[in-house]
Amino acid sequence: MRGRKKRSYKQGNPRNMENVVSLTSLRDGEIGVVAYTVGGFGLVRRLAEMGLTPGVEVKVLRKGPFRGPFEFEVRGVALALGYGVASKVFVKPGRT
Amino acid sequence: MPSVMVWLLRYLSNLEGRNLMAKRQLTIALAGNANVGKSVIFNQLTGLNQIVGNWPGKTVERAEGTLYFKGYKIRIIDLPGIYSLSTFSMEEIVSRDYIAVQKPDIIINVVDASALERNLYFTLQLLELEAPIIVDLNQVDFAAKKGLRIDVKKLSEALGVPVVPTVAVTGSGIDEMLSTVIAVSGEEEKLKPLKVRYGKEIEEKVEALKKLVSDNLSQLCTVYPARWIAVKLLERDTDVSGKLKNYKRGKEVLKNAEKLAVELEKIHGEASPVVMASERYGLANKIAKEVTVVEASPRISLEQKLDAVTTHKVLGYPILVAIVASMFALIFIGGNFLIAGLEFLFENLLFHVEEVLSSFLPEIAVSLINDGILAGVVAGITIALPYIVPFYIILALLEDSGYLPRAAFLMDNLMHKIGLHGKAFIPLMLGYGCSVPACIGCRIMETERERFLTGFVVVLIPCAARTVIILGLVGRFVGLHAALALYVFDLVLVFALGRIAFKALPGEPVGLIMEMPPYKKPSIKNILMKTWIRTKDFIYMALPIIVAGSVVIEALYLLGFMNYVVEAASPLMSGWLGLPPEAGIPLVFGILRKELTLILLSELVPLESLTAIQMIVFSLVTMIYIPCIATIAACIREFGWRRALAITVIDIALAFFIGGLAYQLLPLVMTT
Ligand SMILES: Nc1nc2c(ncn2[C@@H]2O[C@H](COP(=O)(O)OP(=O)(O)OP(=O)(O)O)[C@@H](O)[C@H]2O)c(=O)[nH]1
Ligand SMILES: [Mg+2]
Repeated sequence: MRGRKKRSYKQGNPRNMENVVSLTSLRDGEIGVVAYTVGGFGLVRRLAEMGLTPGVEVKVLRKGPFRGPFEFEVRGVALALGYGVASKVFVKPGRT
Repeated sequence: MPSVMVWLLRYLSNLEGRNLMAKRQLTIALAGNANVGKSVIFNQLTGLNQIVGNWPGKTVERAEGTLYFKGYKIRIIDLPGIYSLSTFSMEEIVSRDYIAVQKPDIIINVVDASALERNLYFTLQLLELEAPIIVDLNQVDFAAKKGLRIDVKKLSEALGVPVVPTVAVTGSGIDEMLSTVIAVSGEEEKLKPLKVRYGKEIEEKVEALKKLVSDNLSQLCTVYPARWIAVKLLERDTDVSGKLKNYKRGKEVLKNAEKLAVELEKIHGEASPVVMASERYGLANKIAKEVTVVEASPRISLEQKLDAVTTHKVLGYPILVAIVASMFALIFIGGNFLIAGLEFLFENLLFHVEEVLSSFLPEIAVSLINDGILAGVVAGITIALPYIVPFYIILALLEDSGYLPRAAFLMDNLMHKIGLHGKAFIPLMLGYGCSVPACIGCRIMETERERFLTGFVVVLIPCAARTVIILGLVGRFVGLHAALALYVFDLVLVFALGRIAFKALPGEPVGLIMEMPPYKKPSIKNILMKTWIRTKDFIYMALPIIVAGSVVIEALYLLGFMNYVVEAASPLMSGWLGLPPEAGIPLVFGILRKELTLILLSELVPLESLTAIQMIVFSLVTMIYIPCIATIAACIREFGWRRALAITVIDIALAFFIGGLAYQLLPLVMTT
């Protein structure tokens, strides 16, 4: 497990790599397209299962105060992620 | 009242079923994402009372009930909500194991019509598992409110399984769903389930692996479909790859799977489970799009405005405080009002009963009946119930509206300071109702460490029984402000202890990942029903204990044992806590039920004779000193007896320490 955890998928697919920012740098109401997520195997898989797969559009609904959690819409569902988790999701700002 | 009719009909057919001897037995399981309405359906079908509310992760254990329908005896299983068949948290393992291993005759896949795409992701996985499913398209009323209509026929064609639209809360569609279950089980209606297929380069690998699997793991293939095993291996599912250890050629298969997974990742640049999830979501998205008709563009509803205000980064917090504070104020006002009325009623009654009894019974029997049994009943009704009933109403409102996940969102940051995340705030809030479900509710936390940390602080939250003491003693005789101060102090204590526990049990907390369900208008019927069920539990469970406690005390008193007990407890009670020495007795009995402490205290010493400081010290000690017996049992079950014992010992020591400290320090700040 340890070894696998170290493998992060940051290098990703080249066509997903340009102008990518962390989800946490989007502001309320802004839209982005998921490029990739980084982190341990379990987390990356879980986020994908909750609908955060590459290419999907997300819209920030609100941010909690002081590096608080993020609420955003993905696939018609409102999802809340803690700041730490949200900072592991990388998006391309703007629509698809 | 159509739902009453539906219920009545079902009840009658239940009777008929019992009498006729069931033709056939069926086992069906309710499975689907969290918060879609599985438990509402379960309750509708079985007449049982599984916990229902508007936040994800209520059902944490599987529940069973029986229903008789059209001559069938149907065993119904309610499962925890689950997002995927790979496992993440404890309650999800419960569901997956049941579906994959126990193999119910039919799985009713409950699907939220207002979030079809995400829900279909799970449906597709059930199809991959080749499980016999029918789809219950629930919450069509709510989807309509969002301006969405689902073409049921098209959806059924796309999935190749029957789809039945329902509105679980009113019971509409439930009978059709049952009939469909019967039709499918009797093979009158054949399933032609959709075969989930992936992109070409994935399919090649799946097929290659599938061949390896069916050639080498024939035993495992009798339990799971070979293709499903292949897909899971490609996704690096640790649970499935673990099963291969027992096979001679398992290692070889695993090595091949790993090789193929790496190839896949090279092509796509993402982890293999992400690649597979993307593909499934692609299919779910396509189907959802095809079958959804957008009838009206969603407008900003009252619920959305409420959502924005109650989770606002500034306003959200004063609102949270106001909600909790007004909750206690309302309970206090409502409770006192009820107490005044009830006391008047019972005082007269007791007096008359005593008169009648003494005319034909010896004095000692009259005391036992009057001061033991009747006083216990009356005390239970006049001291505890008045606060408990308004409390249950307000708690039910909070649960059903959808406020709890908002509170969890607001508190995420703070909860990280004690090594947890926002979700832990939900069992904490439930703890104000009763510590037992709150302890069990700790299972929504993902790791064992977090579950224990949450449980450790949850038992310190004053439950409804402790609220009876805080409001009924300090609130009534000292003032509401003093009672609220006790709640605030308790929260500070919870965070301080949580912080210490976090330091003692360090570890990287898992971050918050939680679905935020939309606000819903709670139905009055639900609220009253829930309140009634909980009140009934109180009457059946607590009142007998209260009465028994009262009788024992009265007997001790009559036998003259009281003096010994009081004398023995005196140094601790009077010397250290500054309480009347009799106060030790209620504290001992309070382990059974916390309400007992106040009720017995009121029978031993007139409450008015206590000083403000004594009342506060007594409440503080009862608030902290030990979880009641039911809570200890829940802790043992959830965390093991060692940890339960640790919690108990720490809480007792803490209570007496803080109580003594308060006795010394309070005179400095209070001028009475
Ligand atoms: N409007 C509407 N609300 C519904 C319907 N069915 C369920 N609900 C509400 O949805 C919420 C969740 O219902 P539950 O039955 O507790 O959900 P569950 O699937 O058992 O959830 P978990 O146990 O947490 O996985 C409750 O607030 C219900 O009142 C429906 O058909 N229409
Ligand atoms: Mg449930």
